[in-house]
Amino acid sequence: MQARFHDGLTARSLPVEVTVEAHRLSFDADGETHVWSLADLQIEDLGDRLRLSHPKVGDGRLTLDAAAWRASGGGAGLKAERRHQKREARLVVGLAVAGLAIAAVVFIGMPAASGPLARATPPNIEERMGRNFEAQLSIAFRPCDPGAGQTALAAFGQRLEAAADTPFDIRVRAVQAPMVNAFALPGGAVMVTDDLIALAKTPDELAAVIAHEAAHVERRHVMQAVWRSLGLGLVLDAVVGGGSGAGQQAVLLAGSVADLRFSRSAESEADVRGQQLLEANGLSSQGMAPFFERIAAKGEGAEAGAVRELMSSHPDSLSRARESAARARPGAPAFTPAEWAAIRMVCQKPKRTLRQILKNPLGD
Amino acid sequence: MSISEDAASTRGERLVFGENLAPGKFVGLSFKNGLLNIVTLTLYRFWAKTEVRRRIWSGVSLNGEAFEYTGRGKELFLGFLLALVLVVLPLLIVVFTAQFLAPQLAFLIILPVYLVLFYLMGFGRFTAFRYLASRTHWRGVRFALTGSPWRYAWSYIGYMLLNVITLGWFAPAAQRRLAAPLWNGLRFGDREFKFDIDRARKVGLYGPFTVFWLGGVVSYFVFMGVAIALAGDMMPKTASEPSLAFIAFVYAAILAWAVVLSVLSAPYQAAILRTLAAGITLEDARFSFKVGWLEMAGLVLTNLALVTFTLGFLTPVMEARTAKFLIRRLRSEGEVDLAAARQAERGPRMGEGLADAFGMATV
Repeated sequence: MQARFHDGLTARSLPVEVTVEAHRLSFDADGETHVWSLADLQIEDLGDRLRLSHPKVGDGRLTLDAAAWRASGGGAGLKAERRHQKREARLVVGLAVAGLAIAAVVFIGMPAASGPLARATPPNIEERMGRNFEAQLSIAFRPCDPGAGQTALAAFGQRLEAAADTPFDIRVRAVQAPMVNAFALPGGAVMVTDDLIALAKTPDELAAVIAHEAAHVERRHVMQAVWRSLGLGLVLDAVVGGGSGAGQQAVLLAGSVADLRFSRSAESEADVRGQQLLEANGLSSQGMAPFFERIAAKGEGAEAGAVRELMSSHPDSLSRARESAARARPGAPAFTPAEWAAIRMVCQKPKRTLRQILKNPLGD
Repeated sequence: MSISEDAASTRGERLVFGENLAPGKFVGLSFKNGLLNIVTLTLYRFWAKTEVRRRIWSGVSLNGEAFEYTGRGKELFLGFLLALVLVVLPLLIVVFTAQFLAPQLAFLIILPVYLVLFYLMGFGRFTAFRYLASRTHWRGVRFALTGSPWRYAWSYIGYMLLNVITLGWFAPAAQRRLAAPLWNGLRFGDREFKFDIDRARKVGLYGPFTVFWLGGVVSYFVFMGVAIALAGDMMPKTASEPSLAFIAFVYAAILAWAVVLSVLSAPYQAAILRTLAAGITLEDARFSFKVGWLEMAGLVLTNLALVTFTLGFLTPVMEARTAKFLIRRLRSEGEVDLAAARQAERGPRMGEGLADAFGMATV
């Protein structure tokens, strides 16, 4: 059988005559006889030609006609092909197991470790982190102007802080944003949006939401979420790499879906603890149930879009409303009527007359 | 046939490139790779890439003999692990601690980190080419890239900074200057490639670049203007989450702009191929690319469609058809004594870790 031999030492192309026997092939080149065993032969398909190599020969290559090779007993190649498929199957199983192990660390291990990690994080580090977060957030969530409303909210935060077992200053503040939400940052800052304040019908309702966020701070759920999303983001990004190929997008998407802010158990814990913080101050803990019922109703109504954000970060409103109603106890309202009126107005700028606008066009 | 006769008959060959690549045959491989990537949390990607390369290399021939890719998935995987442990994780740790522990000083710490990243990108580019060369065989003899990745990385970071300062106008010059060390350092066995930058400069880049740059800037402002005007009506007024229509609109606008940019950049891309080919020599052999801007635009647009509408699944098909497009337009004149080439030293044991980590594609 005609073939071309490349000896792997130079790029000469030598025509040779290959003879195939039972377990080996042989040919003469430069007056030297070469014998390759068929057992370890590697065959690369080049269309109508084949390229043979042999691990023991190193860089040497034989190229020959595919049809002629098959005619002369080329079935030997099948064995190598089967071995190759077996090796690949083992590789895929091994990699799938490694992938599962990484997924387990990211989606199960990291969330499980995030609680102890959060409790072990020194408060001053969490505070510094919180200040950094706050600075970044204040661009999208503009704090409302200082005044009686902000003062009342801040004072209420201090009452919750006194009852809570926390090293942090609980600093409650109203912010402007086109969504119904309240959230806690690392280090004790609690932000309430103007739209949420507008949605709350009584002081009890607003107080319940804020107490719930204060409980997140006390139980260090915020830090826990930071640890979890750090683990999720870092490990997943590092493993998946910076490419944009198939599968990479799918895996990254799965990661972002898993990165909800708090777990369900953390939400329930904050519900219970939030009510305790109110009761410790002698305040009513009855506001949570009606507020969540209203949220659940709105989730299907005209303002669905506005509350969807709150729903996605605070799931299962109805069942939580029922549970908190069962625990609720009456008590004093959290805000005096005067405070409540100020809070309702906290983000509304006074109407400006034409004269004021002319005197001070920027309005500050 | 005696040895002397054989040697005489092969002394001084013209280089004729050929290919028998059938991009359609890469569809099955694309799906296999895509699915295994998902099953293995993308860890299979190194082996997937290796198989694609093996098949593209063996579909390209020079003087009737197919090229051979001898890289292994394991080598890419180990390179990735090494880059992860030695570079990516330390950098991430520095950035995160800087941001969380000292936000006021973060800028001072993060700026040098970015410079290091740029430096490593150049380093990664050089070592990725070095790995590719060392795993490319022809007639049993491998290619090799000599030269220093450290020095290359310094040029890379320098040209990047010049590029920023000149608002991109240094890019055409940088293309040639960054190609020079890669081609000057390339060997086939012991035969040396050379890059003649003066010859490369005979193919002008600044004309097509001006079209690309001005067109890019103008179309950017046009698109932003149109997008803001249209988005104003579609922007949600109270809801926090944008509507599906709004998201679809944003993606459609980005895609439309990508199409415009692809067409605008086609003359420039074609000119880059021509200028680089014009500069390369292997002994007496010179090279040229016969690429017009229209066919280049066609390739880029069809590739864009192929990859975006399949979410990257058909990337191997895109790579095969790009290789086919290029090889069909590659010509060579003048002769080389290829048979006299002696085997090169073995290349690096691991591959491309840094390039992979930064998402840089080299086929």
